[in-house]
Amino acid sequence: MTAQMLVQIPLLLMAGILLVPVIPTRLRARAARWDQGGVSGLVLATLAMAFWMLPRSLDASTTDPLVALAKFLTVPLLIGLPLAFSWPRAGFIVRGVFLTEFVATFFRLGWLYRVSPIRLCNNYGLGDQQRLGNYMLWIGGGLLAWLALKLLAGNFKSLSPSSSPGAPG
Amino acid sequence: MSILYPQNEMLESRERMVLNLYLVTSLVLFLVMMVLGLLMRLAQGAWMDMSPTLFYQVMTAHGAGMVGTAALASSAVMWFFLRKYVPLKTSIFLANYVLFMIGAVLLLVAIFIGKFAGAWTFLYPLPVQSLGVWSVGSAVLFMVGFLIIGVGFLLFYLDAMRGVIRVYGNLGRGLGLQWLFSGTVDPDHPKTVVASTMVIIVNSLGILGGAVVIVMSLINAYDPEIALNALFAKNLIYFFGHVFINITIYMAVIGVYELLPRYTGRRWGMSRPFLWAWAASTLMVMIVYPHHLLMDFAMPRWMAVTGQVISYTSGLPVFTVTAYGALTNIHRSRMRWRIPAMLLILSMFGWAAGIVPAIIDATISVNHVMHNTLWVPGHFHFYLLLGVLPMQFAFMYHLIGRDTDRSVSRSDRLGFWMYLSGGLAFVFMFLAGGHASVPRRWATHFPGWQVYDQVASLSAALVIVALSLFTVRICLGLMHTPSSAEPAPAGD
Ligand code: HEM
Ligand SMILES: [Cu+2]
Repeated sequence: MTAQMLVQIPLLLMAGILLVPVIPTRLRARAARWDQGGVSGLVLATLAMAFWMLPRSLDASTTDPLVALAKFLTVPLLIGLPLAFSWPRAGFIVRGVFLTEFVATFFRLGWLYRVSPIRLCNNYGLGDQQRLGNYMLWIGGGLLAWLALKLLAGNFKSLSPSSSPGAPG
Repeated sequence: MSILYPQNEMLESRERMVLNLYLVTSLVLFLVMMVLGLLMRLAQGAWMDMSPTLFYQVMTAHGAGMVGTAALASSAVMWFFLRKYVPLKTSIFLANYVLFMIGAVLLLVAIFIGKFAGAWTFLYPLPVQSLGVWSVGSAVLFMVGFLIIGVGFLLFYLDAMRGVIRVYGNLGRGLGLQWLFSGTVDPDHPKTVVASTMVIIVNSLGILGGAVVIVMSLINAYDPEIALNALFAKNLIYFFGHVFINITIYMAVIGVYELLPRYTGRRWGMSRPFLWAWAASTLMVMIVYPHHLLMDFAMPRWMAVTGQVISYTSGLPVFTVTAYGALTNIHRSRMRWRIPAMLLILSMFGWAAGIVPAIIDATISVNHVMHNTLWVPGHFHFYLLLGVLPMQFAFMYHLIGRDTDRSVSRSDRLGFWMYLSGGLAFVFMFLAGGHASVPRRWATHFPGWQVYDQVASLSAALVIVALSLFTVRICLGLMHTPSSAEPAPAGD
């Protein structure tokens, strides 16, 4: 379970991110028109992520080859790709909301996995589930610390007044 | 004489409309919530019949409504002054308002139709264990209402964060951390930016904590088999709750920094101690919340001790630099004694005096005796009713004033003294009740306690009359005074 959620899915996601340059520029330009401020892409990615966060979906993907195939296709194409595609277009506030929710989700899932008395996935044991919960709490904490440090002391070139005035955000 | 209405504070008509929405809504909500408060006091004093179930509904509405409204009005103060230094979006300011109103409607529906009465602190597992008084659905509605309000404030803070970063580089520089140890402090670095940055940091984290615990509570409501650790949930709730209500004063105090020097005609400079105070409070405000858990014996002892020690020191740095700065600013100045100035001074007094009972109660050995008594509402009503609200009213009165105003109208003066005396008597009745060991959050009081409740009811009525006067004056003023939109009168 830990391997699936913290290794496999992130790798699939990375694959999607790497796909962006492969897409023809014309297609990207057209899609961009439907993606004001990166909102559509991020919403799409969020919905897909929410689906793959459900224990029963993950569960099914280990038993049902069709669902597994769906996972191998949708995680790169519906999460990684739109994320990488829309992120540069997203302004500060959209990114802020997304990241806040992202960090909060790690905390919530971690907490959930730790306290759930039942095995949320049929294919994995309780011990595995709780270990995953701990990892997720640590990851959430790490992400939060990194964000806090970046905001407190980091460099934000894209936001400085001298950068292009048309920049979103 | 200094300029009361500088050019860079002019509002465009759209900005003015949104600001007016904030101010009028806040005043009306304050009035309604105070009436609810009065009803509770009347019921406790046996001057009115109210079923306990209704009492707890009213208490929930009053708590949630007051905390939310105080935050709403304070964020208007912060927005008004911060926008002079960093770019802020009116649309985001409006979005916060709209989300607040949607959330407020959900809260009211959950309370008065859904009968939710689990207090504004929605302490796990009370919301889902009502013994049949309200349904789980109402509890869910209530928590979703909070979530929506939280999203609105998050948007507001993100926008402010973006603005501060854009102008100052990062939040650390907004706080002035680069000058803590060395270098010459920029005398023109705005205090407003320092305070706003602190608020942005602390309350974003508070909202994050709230968003985590609320969603977990929702999951638990949906599937009770997923039981949460009640103590951990309580930690998060009070982290969020303490930060959220505490921050209202740190937003409103911006009004003191901006306005007081104009009325005294004296500069109020930036200094290293000022920066130190705000930096220290940024940290301490976040770790002080265990003072709400001093009675939870299962808490690690070191956390309780931290809670006590930090409670002594958390508010002090900012309070000290502010009070000291304000006093030296006023001392021997030629103060223009108008209503905003009077309210500002009242707010400093209310803040100072409200700290004393708080510190007493944050002492572990005292807390074991006092904690669930009326002493606690006594302390927080002191600094909210006589500290935070007067800061907000000062700001509102300032907005409707003119440079040419010379004297204070009779009704304003009367309102001021009624508010002050009623407010003082009201909070002293809470403190006296606490001293006599009257428990807080009890719908029914023993006859021996009722005299406090009755005096408090009369005083509360006085406060309500005073606030009604303020409200009428300010609302009329906001409609009639284009002062902030028109260029300031020449001269001065
Ligand atoms: C005339 C004005 C007011 C009156 C008459 C009033 C009355 C009351 C009463 C009777 C209670 C319940 C006390 C108990 O535990 O028995 C209460 C609680 C409370 N009040 Fe007020 N109040 C007033 C103003 C305010 C203001 C201005 C604020 C905040 C800005 C505020 C925030 C609260 C909060 C947070 C609680 C705690 C509710 C709880 O225990 O869950 N009140 N108030
Ligand atoms: Cu507190």
